[in-house]
Amino acid sequence: MSSEKSKPTVQTTGHAWDGDLQEFNNPLPTWWLWTFYATVVFAIIYWVLYPAWPVGGSYTKGMMNDITYTTADGKTKTTHWNTRALLLKEMQIAREEQAEYLKDINALSFEQIRSKPEKSAFANSMAKVLFADNCAACHQSGGDGVMGRYPNLLDDAWLWGGSFDKIQETIANGRTGSMPGFKASLSTKQISDVSDYVLSLSGNEADAAAVKRGQAIFSGQGGCAACHGADAKGQDFMGSANLTDKIWTIADVSGAETAAAKKEAVMNVVKNGKTRVMPAWKGRLSATEIKILTYYVHQLGGGK
Amino acid sequence: MVASSAPVEQYNYDIVRKFTIMALVWGVLGMTAGVYIASELTWPFLNFNIPEITFGRLRPVHTTLVIFGFGGSALFATSYYVVQRTCQTRLFSDGMANFTFWGWNLSVGLAAISYMLGYTQAREYAEMVWPIDLLIAVTWVVYLVIYVMTLRKRSQPHIYVANWFFIAFILATALLHIFNNMAVPVHMFSLESYSLHAGVQDAMTQWWYGHNAVGFFLTAAFLGMMYYFIPKQVGRPVYSYRLSIIHFWALIFLYMWVGGHHLHWTALPDWASTLAAGFSILLLMPSWGGMINGIMTLSGAWDKLRTDPIIRFMIVSLSFYGMSTFEGPLMSLKSVNALSHYTDWTVGHVHSGALGWVAMVSFGSFYHLIPRLWGTKMYSEKLIFAHFWLATIGIVLYIAALWVAGIGQGLMLRGFDEYGNLAYTFIESVSFLYEPYAVRAFGGALFLTGILLMFYNTMMTIRKSKKEQAEIDAKVAAKLANA
Repeated sequence: MSSEKSKPTVQTTGHAWDGDLQEFNNPLPTWWLWTFYATVVFAIIYWVLYPAWPVGGSYTKGMMNDITYTTADGKTKTTHWNTRALLLKEMQIAREEQAEYLKDINALSFEQIRSKPEKSAFANSMAKVLFADNCAACHQSGGDGVMGRYPNLLDDAWLWGGSFDKIQETIANGRTGSMPGFKASLSTKQISDVSDYVLSLSGNEADAAAVKRGQAIFSGQGGCAACHGADAKGQDFMGSANLTDKIWTIADVSGAETAAAKKEAVMNVVKNGKTRVMPAWKGRLSATEIKILTYYVHQLGGGK
Repeated sequence: MVASSAPVEQYNYDIVRKFTIMALVWGVLGMTAGVYIASELTWPFLNFNIPEITFGRLRPVHTTLVIFGFGGSALFATSYYVVQRTCQTRLFSDGMANFTFWGWNLSVGLAAISYMLGYTQAREYAEMVWPIDLLIAVTWVVYLVIYVMTLRKRSQPHIYVANWFFIAFILATALLHIFNNMAVPVHMFSLESYSLHAGVQDAMTQWWYGHNAVGFFLTAAFLGMMYYFIPKQVGRPVYSYRLSIIHFWALIFLYMWVGGHHLHWTALPDWASTLAAGFSILLLMPSWGGMINGIMTLSGAWDKLRTDPIIRFMIVSLSFYGMSTFEGPLMSLKSVNALSHYTDWTVGHVHSGALGWVAMVSFGSFYHLIPRLWGTKMYSEKLIFAHFWLATIGIVLYIAALWVAGIGQGLMLRGFDEYGNLAYTFIESVSFLYEPYAVRAFGGALFLTGILLMFYNTMMTIRKSKKEQAEIDAKVAAKLANA
């Protein structure tokens, strides 16, 4: 090949394959060789520092004997570098750094936390992670819930009350909200009338005669007033909804476009009822964590 | 070149043609699947709640089609071509070669269908259920026999360097495939099976396999391809025989140790993971040996870069090979890995190797090979240039996007605020990925467009070849008739 002539100083190995395939016999590039030696030195240092080579039934422990942590039974232990001890140590340091804040959170009342910006900021910082890990799966990461399933925490109408104590109780013990279905005890006509009445309570258009009949059923035969109250404003000790505000959590009235669709949504709930459960977090979260979450959730929407 | 027309009968080119076409078919399908799942990550509605096309099932379809379908067929094609030409002898057995063709393509096709139906071993890059594993094992052993027997009946005194790499790849892949897939079926007619290994040993076996699939399947074998097609295309001798020996033995010795670096910060004992990290650092220069040998072979022919798109594919592939074999050892250090592990940085790294190195060197080799297999020029050189730019820009976008995604994710997942609480929730690290994921899907789409052009160009070349052949036949017939 012609290119070979242009490099007369370097010899090929003298073999040729497939016509013109040949190989020069250039020496190894010096920089390549020295960089390779450098990686050998690096690897040896790495192996000397960390646990590395298996020897018999054990292994070389490495030169870094500098991880000190406290074991579960309170003894101080220093060990060679290993990932488990490293994790234990880092968790321990984190716990120690937060212990001071957590002690204060436990000692202070909610109002006191609110009045101290630094404590409040700490509580919110920790609560954000707690909420994302434990609450967001249902209430969503922004806290706006899912219509018909999981309550929206950003609005101002909380079924079980919005005081610190109520929220803490809700998180610790959980809640079961249950409205029975009325399709067995009321006729379709009656359910329709009651639904017209319920819609009229929050200013939706409804047939006047039907509203009147519905009102009678609401406070009489239907028994609706027993839970929702004679004024239909709901009772937060039992989680019954206020029907006079414009906030809907189960029947998607605000999302329905036509009057017929709004009524359909309400009738469905009256007919079939609805049961929703919030699990109890006592036992899964510590009392301090529940307190921190309470403080955080209180600020979202319905806190009183 | 006249080499193409005369010795058609001397060598078995039929098997090379078949594997070349299948490499392109699997490449198009596999990269389409890749762009689709990248889009699913960006716009999840694309899952359409159809189980067969959800990300979880299509992802192994993508990896299997591109690694084993595209990459595997490209290796069968080039290794059968190279071994015949450098040994100056026909393949040991045409029948056995055809068996590897059907066995291999059937395995790849069945694997893809079974994943979509939900059948998987759940071992990364080895998801095939046991009956497919058996078919692959048989096919592979036949491949080994053909290769060794062809080398034995060579009419050349020496074995060319490309063949060392191919034989190392075939041997190691047989070992890896068989040991990693040892399993006991639940019962005779069940596709499910239990692995013979348990717990962390199972994980270690899987990553011993996984990393050597990268080392031998996606690296050593493609180096074999490089060692033949680069000097051939440039028309210059390989830069250094000595370097090729040293880096060959260093590479195949060192790769076997490094699988443990996939299991840093897990239940794998610390000593095993350090050992793997050390050997990963040692791998840097042996890998670069291949890159240097390729680039130095090209040096002296730099002017050809302006006119020859094939050499462009080759030089870019070597550059990406060098880049990703530098990135790999870096990521295998425990401290770097603590940031990069479980993030998209890993995915970006794999693709800088798979798209940048493996696919680019295959494209270059195919553009050299196809005209010689069908005895005509490529249908369009402009399309080759277009393919080159689409592929190169696609990879750069892809990798840059996933560096941003991966390093960002890693920093967010370990970020703490001033009170020692996590600064970000997991979902925040997910929504952060939206823009990088969109860029990644776009980069992938460019790369896919490139291989579609190549597929079209190849089909038109084959058509042209048939037309030219028909014209020659007609002329000959006319001459005979006149006479």
